[in-house]
Amino acid sequence: MTPGRRFRIYLLEARFQFVEVLREPMFAIPTLAFPLIFYLFFGVIMGTRGVSLAVPTYVLATYGVFGVLGPALFGFGAGLANERDTGVLLLKQTTPMPAGAYLFAKVMAALIFGAVVVAALFLMAAHAAGVALYRWQWFALAGVLLAGVIPFCALGLAIGAWARGRSAVAVVNLVFLPMAMLSGLWLPIYMFPDVMQDIALALPAYHHAQLALKVIAMDAGQPVPTHLAVLVAETLAFLAVAALGFRRADSFSMRRSR
Amino acid sequence: MKSARHLVGRSLTWLAIGVVVFTGVLATLPVPQAADGPARGVPEETFAIVDVTAFDGEAFRQGWDVWVEDGRIRHAGQKLDLPEDLPRLDGRGHTLIPGLIDGHVHSFLSTLRDALRFGVTTVLDQSTDPAFAAAQRPAREEVARGTEADLFSAGMTATAPEGHGTQYGIPVETLTGPDEATEWVRARKTEGSDWIKIIYEDGSAFDMEIPSLDGETVAAVIAAAHAEGLAAVVHVSTLETALEAMAFGADGLVHVWRDEVVSEADARRFREAGIFVVPTLSVMVSADDSALAALVRETDETMLSPIQRQTLDGRFPGGLAEGGDVAMENVRRLRAAGVRLVAGTDSPNPGTGAGISMHGELRLLARAGMGNAEALAAATSVAADAFGIAGRGRIAEGRLADLVLVRGDLERDVSRSHDIVAIWKDGYLVDRAVGSAGAGPLAEIAPAPAETLVADFEDGFEARFGAWDVTTDQLTGGASSANAAVRDGALVVTGEIAPGLAFPWAGVIWMPGAQPMQPVDFSGREAIRFRTRGDGRQYSVMLISTAEPAGPPPAVTFIAPEEWTWLEIRLEDFPTATPEIIAGLAFVAEEPVGAYTFEVDEVEVR
Repeated sequence: MTPGRRFRIYLLEARFQFVEVLREPMFAIPTLAFPLIFYLFFGVIMGTRGVSLAVPTYVLATYGVFGVLGPALFGFGAGLANERDTGVLLLKQTTPMPAGAYLFAKVMAALIFGAVVVAALFLMAAHAAGVALYRWQWFALAGVLLAGVIPFCALGLAIGAWARGRSAVAVVNLVFLPMAMLSGLWLPIYMFPDVMQDIALALPAYHHAQLALKVIAMDAGQPVPTHLAVLVAETLAFLAVAALGFRRADSFSMRRSR
Repeated sequence: MKSARHLVGRSLTWLAIGVVVFTGVLATLPVPQAADGPARGVPEETFAIVDVTAFDGEAFRQGWDVWVEDGRIRHAGQKLDLPEDLPRLDGRGHTLIPGLIDGHVHSFLSTLRDALRFGVTTVLDQSTDPAFAAAQRPAREEVARGTEADLFSAGMTATAPEGHGTQYGIPVETLTGPDEATEWVRARKTEGSDWIKIIYEDGSAFDMEIPSLDGETVAAVIAAAHAEGLAAVVHVSTLETALEAMAFGADGLVHVWRDEVVSEADARRFREAGIFVVPTLSVMVSADDSALAALVRETDETMLSPIQRQTLDGRFPGGLAEGGDVAMENVRRLRAAGVRLVAGTDSPNPGTGAGISMHGELRLLARAGMGNAEALAAATSVAADAFGIAGRGRIAEGRLADLVLVRGDLERDVSRSHDIVAIWKDGYLVDRAVGSAGAGPLAEIAPAPAETLVADFEDGFEARFGAWDVTTDQLTGGASSANAAVRDGALVVTGEIAPGLAFPWAGVIWMPGAQPMQPVDFSGREAIRFRTRGDGRQYSVMLISTAEPAGPPPAVTFIAPEEWTWLEIRLEDFPTATPEIIAGLAFVAEEPVGAYTFEVDEVEVR
């Protein structure tokens, strides 16, 4: 396959998958709206009661993580499980399309949704809450937030590889909501008891949020390499878990077809 | 396949549009507006900052409430029982520190205002015009809304004739021997000097030869200061002179040295002597050092006054010789030995700026191994204790409410200290905008005397009104020189324009006001008329309207020919909107580099 052809397949698959999720309001609306509604409530309405902009600034970073986490988990976790159950995945596997294009398309869809959420959050923070950051901070924060799709997509992939169709949504929610809360995405982590703060240390969303908070100097002070190391290790672990899941699913379907 | 290709193109277009819109959104988001002044609704005078991480001068305290009443701290501690109706500021996510104390500055023009705008609420001036210091001192006793940092000053500095400290155009009574020490110190005490500053500098550390007081005289001045109940601090630039000054009984050294790394044994001797050191790393490392350059980069340019910009852009002539690492190592060793270290910037020397450089000094002290709390203590309580300034540098009951609220957690990273949310001086909010603070409304400008003649130099250097002085680019870090003398009834100006600055200058300035650089209203006058002759090169008349020019002052050039020539420059020819407001008229040589000689006489504003 020529590189040009390969590029075209990747691009078109990304486009089709993006349009597909766009047409799925059950996916698009909550993932786009939840972070914004939460930010409106905790960041703008509650957060600007004082004269200090510390709260709206802090939660901008954490709801940004929340906003990127949603599309990645749901797109990969629920979407993948669903496509496998309905046979769409099998259909795609029978086409000459490289498997990479499928994964690339999913990551791109998550990235684009994430970017939309991030842009909307930033606009709301800037114009409704009055948050002002240095130019480099706006760009760095956006960059750090969007880079989060990588570990979160890996986590989604792991879930999608193991969970079956309808239960996948439930599993994703079981991971998504508690992790968001325990990682301090809804309320600042320092407001939690110590035990809960210890749990957060194991969660990828916590480390990603800390990196985002580092940009605005509101993180808990752990070194950047620690966060990066945890995120890389967990991403690799998720990918390994996903690979195991696919292998099991393949042998399972092979046994069934025999 | 055609439609697939079509879709590829459309997808790419949309992707491109998406990327452009996304970056466009990011690029148009608001950035912190310095000119906005303090955040809306920040309380002052009587209020509380609640649930804040406070640095009380010694240590960080979590979850503190700080209750300010009538400009003083009434209570500070955890979970205070605050009145229901007390205005309060949510301090979560921020750090509250005592107003910073810069342990080594030189004050003039807008430096006190600039210092305050960057959270330096008190400066310890290590020599300035005694008249300026005397005029500033009363303000520090008042608890009132102010626009300037409080000044404590050594006033005039003790140095040898032509020694270091005499080159800045401020009056200095020099000393020639130990027998003059007592009288000299008493004169300073009468002038109001808060301590005595002595220059012990022969230039050897800079490959220069500078006349210096001898050791005996330094020792005599220290002894005389102690006899008068004043502390004595010494400017040194070598380890050898530092050790000598310690042996003479100095209370403090106002620089660290860059010539030699101090041994552990000597560092211990400094500790045992109880002497403190103000390292002034800001002028010891290169002004292009990464920490300092980053600080300037992270500072909104509109926050900087013209003088701050000028001095920050300045560089020591010829650059700094190597030695910054030695200075760093010395600070490291002195700290390890337990020597008291006081943060100070030596601003506004070339490469530094009043106020702003204090945040660079904190970064450098942290780099030299000081912990975040330790560095902040050096810039607050330790500085206050070293110089015996009561009531400052601490957040505690009864202290002045000189407070700085900084975004983020300084306990973790002191290099964030410049990210200031609000500054209170005596409990009053400080407007951080340039020029907004007491910029001198037009109503305060005195009218000019009826007389049009400024000076005919028949009876010497005196002007009919106002005063003459020499002015050179040394003010902004240049090395040009000027000498003025009256000869045969005319003012003879000689000197040399030195390379190093983009716009070097040197010459004389006439300031018409009762105070230096005080503007005077010459409405109704049309021209400046004077007689000149000289070496045939080009000179400028600069018209300075305010004490804080926003950039180079408007100027009109002239040639000083060999024969006496009358010149008349119309005020309207100066490229400024207010040529009738004159704070100073400077007659200066500029480029090209080299020696110059010119004379002026019969100066008139008519």
